[in-house]
Amino acid sequence: MNVLQKQSIAEMKRVLRNKYFVLWSLIMPIAFYYFFTNVVNTNVPDQRAWEAHYLMSMTVFSVMGSSIMTLGIRMVQERSQGWAAFIRLTPLPDHIYLSAQMIGQSVIHVLSITVIFLFGAIINDIALSPFEWMMSGLWILFGALPFLALGTLIGLMRKVETAAGISNVLYMLLALGGGMWMPFEVMPDMMQSIGQWLPSYHFGSGAWELVRGGSPTWKNILILIAYMMLFMLLSKYIRRKQEAV
Amino acid sequence: MMKEAVTVSNVTKHFQRKTAVNNISFSIEKGEIAAILGPNGAGKTTVVSMILGLLKPSEGEIKLFNRVPDDQQVREKIGVMLQEVSVMPGLKVDEILELFRSYYPNPLSMKELVSLTALTKEDLKTRAEKLSGGQKRRLSFALALAGNPELLILDEPTVGMDTSSRHRFWQTIHGLSDQGKTIIFSTHYLQEADDAAQRILFFTEGQLVADGSPMQIRSRIQKQSVSFTLHSSESLERLSCHPEVERVIHEHERTIIQTSNTDKVLALIFQENIHARDIRIEQATLDEAFRQLADGNREAM
Repeated sequence: MNVLQKQSIAEMKRVLRNKYFVLWSLIMPIAFYYFFTNVVNTNVPDQRAWEAHYLMSMTVFSVMGSSIMTLGIRMVQERSQGWAAFIRLTPLPDHIYLSAQMIGQSVIHVLSITVIFLFGAIINDIALSPFEWMMSGLWILFGALPFLALGTLIGLMRKVETAAGISNVLYMLLALGGGMWMPFEVMPDMMQSIGQWLPSYHFGSGAWELVRGGSPTWKNILILIAYMMLFMLLSKYIRRKQEAV
Repeated sequence: MMKEAVTVSNVTKHFQRKTAVNNISFSIEKGEIAAILGPNGAGKTTVVSMILGLLKPSEGEIKLFNRVPDDQQVREKIGVMLQEVSVMPGLKVDEILELFRSYYPNPLSMKELVSLTALTKEDLKTRAEKLSGGQKRRLSFALALAGNPELLILDEPTVGMDTSSRHRFWQTIHGLSDQGKTIIFSTHYLQEADDAAQRILFFTEGQLVADGSPMQIRSRIQKQSVSFTLHSSESLERLSCHPEVERVIHEHERTIIQTSNTDKVLALIFQENIHARDIRIEQATLDEAFRQLADGNREAM
């Protein structure tokens, strides 16, 4: 087995053994999903469409959370506890270390998507075509990139407590404002007009379109790319400022 | 074949306006056990960090095996223990060790690592975040040895160890030294440097103030003294003009004469017919001597 493979597997083990990950990225979304499609009567006109729609919302919610929180907080931890410096003293090249983290994170996302999709398919008997399952899964996997970039931005903070606090608040605002918890259409006008500019709305929107038989719009794609560039540039700028000291 | 494992040439490090390390030069030969000794804040960690390439010197140059510190080939030959490193959470000790072994071309076997570091079977199956302080030190030591390094660099390695682990640790280090490995460690305990090292580099306030064998350092910093009380304000002028008398101090009604030759000073007291009572010969403890050297340097600056 080569080093990259070993390192990636180690990274995956670390994520899976993290209780917060399992709670926030798997248990919570599945519990929410079950609650809002089976326990509470939401009075939606088309229950079947709602079930598919909300399954996408919760999968997006899960993957967005692990991108922002798991990655960002771990980066802060590794730096503040000296691990990041220590690993630089080994022959393991920096790019392998980073790639392994990214690969590990992506495999974890594939896993989250699969688990939550399977759960939806089983409890609510959601019948999408294989193509629709595939495309919405891929959309969620790649749509997570701007949020991974946001994670690395949070990873530049100095204290674990600050990073955890700020990423929690951001995560909840993004989820609420982007229409992950309730359908975007039923939110007050003002929230809708703000939400339209949030990356989370466009992340969700692409998946909602797909299960409705459509496809993500160019606007969805462009806004997500714009956010990714913005977060990457910001983190590059901040990192350079930090190194200058 | 090159003899030096580490060469430090005219290195200075400034942090904003503070000078943490001021124009130091030394080299460490292969196979040496060298201690970087000094009180807290002397710049030991800064020196170690620069040798490791974690910090860049403001001026001067550092080479390991005649290469820059962050060279891939250097990384394969060194093993490091840093202060206060929390090993990555989520992995068990044996998983981390296996992973680390895979980074190096010629790692030590798991069996050797376990026997060198006295990690127990339970330790190996424990997750890093659940280790006690002592277990963490053992894991750090095992990680330093994983790649079978030629050069071990240990920053305050025994902090937090109890006496028996400390003892075993130094035994292992001497065993490794017998195999030809070069060892550099930092400490603020003079006793430890004295017991474990063949060579001591003494730092205070960012300067290298002494460099030699423990014996040389000890004779340089360990002053003996003869002290006594006098009947009256008898003059000691005749005594203090002898070269053996290095310094005369009056303290609590007693006169203290610092010297490196107490026998000669005693003879002089009788020869000069000084009415001294209650004569005592005293040896400064190592720690006092250590403080003296550090203070002396401060006065000189």
